Amino acid sequence: MSAPLPDLLPAPDAASAVPVRTKARGQASPLRVWIPAGFLILLAAACFIWPQIYPVPKPVGGSILEAGLPPLSPGHILGTDPNGNDVLSRILYGGQVSFEVGFSVTAIGLVVGGLLGVAAGYWRGAADAAISRVLDVLIAFPALVLALVIAEGLGPSELHVIWALAIFSIPAFGRIARSGTLAIREQTYMLAARLSGSRGRHIILRHVIPNIMPQLMTFALLGFGIAIILEGALSFLGLGIPLPEPSWGSMIAQGQQVLSATPEQALIPSAFLFAAVVSLNVLGDALRERWGVR
Amino acid sequence: MAVGAEPGAETGAGMTLAQRALRSPTLRLAGRRLLAVIPVLWGVTFLTYVVMNLLPGDTAQVLLGANATPAQVHQLEVRLHLNEPFWVRYGGWLGATIHGNLGTSLASGENVTTILGQRLPVTAELLIYAFVGSIVLAVLLAVLAARRPNGIADRFSVVISMTGLSVAPYVLAVVLVYVFAVKLQWFPAIGYTSLTADPLENIRSLTLPAIAIGFPLFAVYTRLLRADIVEQMQREDYIVTARAKGVPSWQILIRHALPNSMFGLITLVALNLGALVGAVAIIEPIFSLPGVGAILISSITNHDVPIVEGVVLVFAVVVVLAGLAADLLYAVLDPRIRYERSAS
Amino acid sequence: MNTVSGPLLEVENLTVSFPGRRGELRAVIGVSYSLDPQQTLAIVGESGSGKTVSCRALMGLLPQAAVVTGSARFQGDELLGLTDDELRRHRGTNLAMVFQDPSRSLNPTMKVGNQIAEAVRVHQRVTKAEAKKQAIELLRLVHIPVPGRRFHEYPHQLSGGMRQRIMIAIALACRPRLLIADEATTALDVTTQAQIMELLLELRAELGMTLMLISHDLGLARSCADEVIVMYAGQIVEQASTPQLFTHVRMPYTQALFEAIPRLERPAHSPLPVIGGRPPDLSALPAGCSFAPRCRRAADDCRTTAPPLAEHEPGHRWACWHPVGQGGPGGWVPPEGTVWHDVR
Repeated sequence: MSAPLPDLLPAPDAASAVPVRTKARGQASPLRVWIPAGFLILLAAACFIWPQIYPVPKPVGGSILEAGLPPLSPGHILGTDPNGNDVLSRILYGGQVSFEVGFSVTAIGLVVGGLLGVAAGYWRGAADAAISRVLDVLIAFPALVLALVIAEGLGPSELHVIWALAIFSIPAFGRIARSGTLAIREQTYMLAARLSGSRGRHIILRHVIPNIMPQLMTFALLGFGIAIILEGALSFLGLGIPLPEPSWGSMIAQGQQVLSATPEQALIPSAFLFAAVVSLNVLGDALRERWGVR
Repeated sequence: MAVGAEPGAETGAGMTLAQRALRSPTLRLAGRRLLAVIPVLWGVTFLTYVVMNLLPGDTAQVLLGANATPAQVHQLEVRLHLNEPFWVRYGGWLGATIHGNLGTSLASGENVTTILGQRLPVTAELLIYAFVGSIVLAVLLAVLAARRPNGIADRFSVVISMTGLSVAPYVLAVVLVYVFAVKLQWFPAIGYTSLTADPLENIRSLTLPAIAIGFPLFAVYTRLLRADIVEQMQREDYIVTARAKGVPSWQILIRHALPNSMFGLITLVALNLGALVGAVAIIEPIFSLPGVGAILISSITNHDVPIVEGVVLVFAVVVVLAGLAADLLYAVLDPRIRYERSAS
Repeated sequence: MNTVSGPLLEVENLTVSFPGRRGELRAVIGVSYSLDPQQTLAIVGESGSGKTVSCRALMGLLPQAAVVTGSARFQGDELLGLTDDELRRHRGTNLAMVFQDPSRSLNPTMKVGNQIAEAVRVHQRVTKAEAKKQAIELLRLVHIPVPGRRFHEYPHQLSGGMRQRIMIAIALACRPRLLIADEATTALDVTTQAQIMELLLELRAELGMTLMLISHDLGLARSCADEVIVMYAGQIVEQASTPQLFTHVRMPYTQALFEAIPRLERPAHSPLPVIGGRPPDLSALPAGCSFAPRCRRAADDCRTTAPPLAEHEPGHRWACWHPVGQGGPGGWVPPEGTVWHDVR
């Protein structure tokens, strides 16, 4: 049972007025932030650090004689794949790829897209028109087709995957940065800053960027997950990380071939992929609630 | 005492249907949109052509394989007009397309229109299955969840949404195949039976792929719709009026809040359509469905430009039509858009 | 239970508080009054005085977070603490409410006629056709011309005054004994205000209803009500019959309110009299009288102990240690020529 109450509180204390939502307290519990964050840190640490400090069988060059061993075999905790490579090691090195691609794509999008978006939103005019048109076209384009074409054209490699995905990351961040900048631009204190004579760059650094950071950062977490999924998709199709280099996506594709016989070949990388993306999404969501981004 | 003849009150029912149609902002909008569509379609196809042609590697060489002699390669090039300059080739394609001729596949020599005609119904059925399922289930779950925010149904919907957003279609497909096809054997792992041959088998063969595509959609839709409904229920005054009347909660939810919450969902569905070409391209090969997506990847690898262009064109048209349909739906749902605004 | 004699509504020690971010927010504190049948009661106060919250509490229209204690008996039946289902028996049939902003209080995507018919069908087992007939009758009752055609229109096609008439029609659908008009005319222009008040009073006489007017408009209270309650910071601070209150003011707050009304007789360019200070923070009310920080007559005992609301003179209650005209008869008399901005 609820009703909006326009005259419940006088203006001076509007900030402490009860939100009309049924949850009166601050929303996301710290668990929703720290559990996924902790898991991600652990996973990243495992993927990058473990192979350095603890000897792990190489992810490539296994012998056929050891092909298809089930999990919990001696020396291969998660078993081996059809080529005889150790699955755990491939998971860890594949995880490195996922994190590297996700991070790079997100970082490029955040920086380049963010700057473009802020520029377009703040200075408007011709620059905005031009940038917006390009962003719109890129967003409207069937993304995977372009990514596939680029990956196909450039040849499979981690770097090319990053480039192909960055082409979509940039307009996505650009759009968010632009709309956030536009919103802030309208606000009175921006007007005040301009009136007081601050130069454009100063205004941007002091006002716009800190205010759009919450939106950008939460989107970055979501985007990280999407990038990981897309890298997996490209690898799954054979257009991403070239075999025999490990990637969760290509491991799933390989596992699909032997699904009836040894389902864990496909299910183990699937589980890792899912766990990583879910953590990113839950974390992004919880931070979004904490920071009050819509 | 003055009788309430207030100024500006609309007499909306007085015009004829034709008059109203011509004055209808919706139809005018539709007309403008149709005109705006053409440059968009052109732009998309042109961009695709450019990109495809930037692909390194010789198309003819790829098609014939490594063992072909230079003479054979050259012969094929001439036959496929591959040695002509870019603009001539694009112009030729564009001209032919405007006349309805989408050309022939470089790889198989078949008529593109024929190929698309055979494969499109499969993809269409798959997508309709996925969409209808995800939307219907999303509405059901969102209504249940919004009924009692933070109740059991709501928390369940949050979990489902998170899962759906986090799972990639190809991952889901593999898991579904393992659980339902390999282990439980309820559905076939691969293969397609057409609707006319055996309707039941047809549904069976499309169910797992439809879930693989539809589940992430269902997750997103549920989240959005639930949020919109809760917002309506908590923030809108007309809901309070309905409560004050004595209307039961379920009725308020379904008859008042839900219709006013659909706009966000409609927008999202229309927007999503374009992204589906990617999902389809991955899912169809996994299940060996003879649809449009299945040949997309191989066509890209083969540099088979006419096929790729054909597929892209079809999807672009679908996206545009979806946008139009969405606008029309807005008008249906929201009488403020349908009728001219009154002067009050 | 239909007691013909005895008060229609008895409110005893009604308290409403909300959990806020900075401690408990007390919106209504210990409000008690009784309402006789066919009486017109006006509850006046500023924003935040608790007048709206206290009335919404009667119909159970507050957010779930609200903590409501005390008692409110309608013809002997307790209204507070009921479940939604139990409350629905009262809503519309015994008590009805008209809200402030008719443009937001009506469902924008539902025909106005259907919104009225819904109010009918919720409480009576009638066919759609019969409900429609009743709705058209109600439209006629609130003096909307051409009701048959208006039935099919949407809220955005009507002017503000017409929409408010629709709201009234909805409220009257099941002939409630008590009609609560919560700032019903605040959003309307002055002429329309007069028309709507005229309508409400006419309907009250015609249908034998009891009317509760919530407003910040003193002129409205003076011209339309039999009895006036003045609220401040969630409490009743003064209550008297209309003639008594407007000629013999006791509470300094009420006096300040009256004095704040601009008068033509004041010398030009003299500063407008306002009540100094700021409205109280409902989550941190001062000990003692809530008005003390702003009161001209405040003394030390006012700041330490809150004065109780008591009937110091027959038919006139107030809560003040140092009322205007203390010790002497009559209290403060508003000066000659005070323009009350009567509504009728």
